[in-house]
Amino acid sequence: MDESALERYFDDSIANDSGFLNGDDADLPSTPKPSGELADDLDLSFLPDELSGNACDAEGSGSGGGVALASHHEAEDRPSSSSSQTANDSAVFCPMTPMTPMTPMTPMTERSGIVPQLQNIVSTVNLGCPLDLKFIALQARNAEYNPKRFAAVIMRIREPRTTALIFSSGKMVCTGAKSEEQSRLAARKYARVVQKLGFPARFLDFKIQNMVASCDVCFPIRLEGLVLTHQQFSSYEPELFPGLIYRMVKPRIVLLIFVSGKVVLTGAKERGEIYEAFENIYPILRGFRKQ
Amino acid sequence: MSTAGLKCPCCGSSSIVEDDHHTNRQMVCVDCGTVVSEGALTHDFFEGTDISYSRTTAVSKKPCLNQIKGQQRLTALCRVLRVNSEIETLSSTYFAQAYEHESFLNVSLQKKENLAGCCVLVSCRQLNWPVTMGTIACLLEVDIAMLGAVYQEMMKVLKVEAQLVNVSDVMEAHCQEYKISPLDVHEDLAEDCKDLNKRALSLVELAADSWILTGRQPVPLMTATVYLAWQSLNPNHIRLKMSLEKFCLIAKVKKNRVAVKRVSEIKGVLCKLGKEIPWVTDPVTSDNVVKHVGDIVKNRYALLRSAMRSHEEAMQNDQEEEVNPSEADDQTPHATGENSEMAEQPREGNESNANPNPVPNWGKRMLFAPPCVIHPKRRRAVIEGLKDVTGDEDISDGEIESYIRSPREAREFAVTQKAWLSQSEEAKCQ
Repeated sequence: MDESALERYFDDSIANDSGFLNGDDADLPSTPKPSGELADDLDLSFLPDELSGNACDAEGSGSGGGVALASHHEAEDRPSSSSSQTANDSAVFCPMTPMTPMTPMTPMTERSGIVPQLQNIVSTVNLGCPLDLKFIALQARNAEYNPKRFAAVIMRIREPRTTALIFSSGKMVCTGAKSEEQSRLAARKYARVVQKLGFPARFLDFKIQNMVASCDVCFPIRLEGLVLTHQQFSSYEPELFPGLIYRMVKPRIVLLIFVSGKVVLTGAKERGEIYEAFENIYPILRGFRKQ
Repeated sequence: MSTAGLKCPCCGSSSIVEDDHHTNRQMVCVDCGTVVSEGALTHDFFEGTDISYSRTTAVSKKPCLNQIKGQQRLTALCRVLRVNSEIETLSSTYFAQAYEHESFLNVSLQKKENLAGCCVLVSCRQLNWPVTMGTIACLLEVDIAMLGAVYQEMMKVLKVEAQLVNVSDVMEAHCQEYKISPLDVHEDLAEDCKDLNKRALSLVELAADSWILTGRQPVPLMTATVYLAWQSLNPNHIRLKMSLEKFCLIAKVKKNRVAVKRVSEIKGVLCKLGKEIPWVTDPVTSDNVVKHVGDIVKNRYALLRSAMRSHEEAMQNDQEEEVNPSEADDQTPHATGENSEMAEQPREGNESNANPNPVPNWGKRMLFAPPCVIHPKRRRAVIEGLKDVTGDEDISDGEIESYIRSPREAREFAVTQKAWLSQSEEAKCQ
């Protein structure tokens, strides 16, 4: 394999860091980078995403070159265009510091080679104006509203396939997207629908609240052994739930580990947290495979 | 008490003296003799201090009535389970601690009762007394899911840890529930509890090693192993013909649908091992494996090794038949020796090969794998949505308009909705 999933992951982490910044400038992310080694080379956290690439061609840097390669892995839905755009952005803003090639913290052979697939993203946005839910339910085709059951309109769109809960205060929750960008696009579409219905809707404080991912390590796991050695993090009650609930402290992610080898990761606000959590748990799980 | 200003209510004279009438101070009018006021027995109340009764009189905060009742219930539970005094005191302490916490102070009485059960459970776990959550749920007559929720919350509040309950430990208590001693049933069906326990324990170990136990509820598995143990200890005609349901009926034990599945899973494992018995010539199937269980259990380690070897050989033969000859070299046979870990490692070579599609079912290539891997649930096809999305794309007006009703449509919908609502109102009134 010429370009491992690992390098793609690191490249995507760079793209990610600027990708989360949206129109609301006050919302600067303060979270540290997912992997320590990036901090020295690039600090893109301050870049707003409106910045369209001043097209400098990729400066032959390691990561830039890595990004330009087409992604074969089915897990990656990161577009190469936005990544190279970011590479160009950094080139514009840090002309004095050429981008050094990324070096992984641990040797390639120890990495899992498995990338968790995002399954669900939950995000919230503030449309900034009070809404008449009865009117929306009447005028929109894709809305349902049952005030006795729940005090919000449930709206659905086909592409990206998502569901939104729209409250009368103007706040909205968007669920079901498979990536951060899809969630943002879906939220914008809902906002447009509300706009078209006549409300002065805006798009304020878009924030990803939760990300859920899953993957398969392809070997069975002795949950009883795992709960013995990692008692302070694990909770395994076969009488209640067949999986082991592992509460990782750093990053703060909850993992559901099943005997079949399937792992569900949830509680992340950023994609990097999920990848980091999985890379942390994989050697632990491998340890249980050999026993 | 000063006499100044006091006037006799009877005659109005102001000459009032203090008089001690049997140590009871009285104010008496000299002229007419009426008692103006009695000493201590006066309604001349003094205001009292600003300190409330509970602050001056109460020594320490006493537990409320519900808490006392809860403690009593807890003690009763401990007595029923016949735990030792250490567990009783520990659970009592936990209960007092948790009860005062805000998450348990204002909840329903049933939840508080569940809390008592959970305190007993966690104390038993910490002091190595094997009892399952199912037992407590049964005693409290509550749904195990509800008990589980209270348990998780309590663990968070108390910030304690408890070990997992080993099925083998609980097995003995479970076996004793089965009423199949010679006194209860016909001698053909009767079985000694100790033998039953021993045989069932070895079957449980076998199930644990072959991935049947992990992640599953313990009780159905225990029922299944007891049933198979009972059948195999005396595999006569009557026992072999008896179904699990009937067995539960005879033994006066609650029947279990899931246990039937476990029986077939364990039989599958036994068949795989039974095949390796050198002196058995007939093919071993689920129907006739029970009579070999005794031999299998006695020689299980040897049979395991033998089964793994034949499995590896079978894999290698499959490899040689495959188109790509290089993969055959990547075989990494695993001999695990005495340890009953039977999971055969998937070929190491596979992981480093540039294999774009993940191996469809690695479980099928292993000798023993968790049943959920061998028979995966069929998932609906994942709808591949947008792939390259930036989140900033233009949104076409046409698309948005497709989600909005035309004015006529909206009117019709409103009319229909009103009509339907009035109809349902009428129906409700009738």
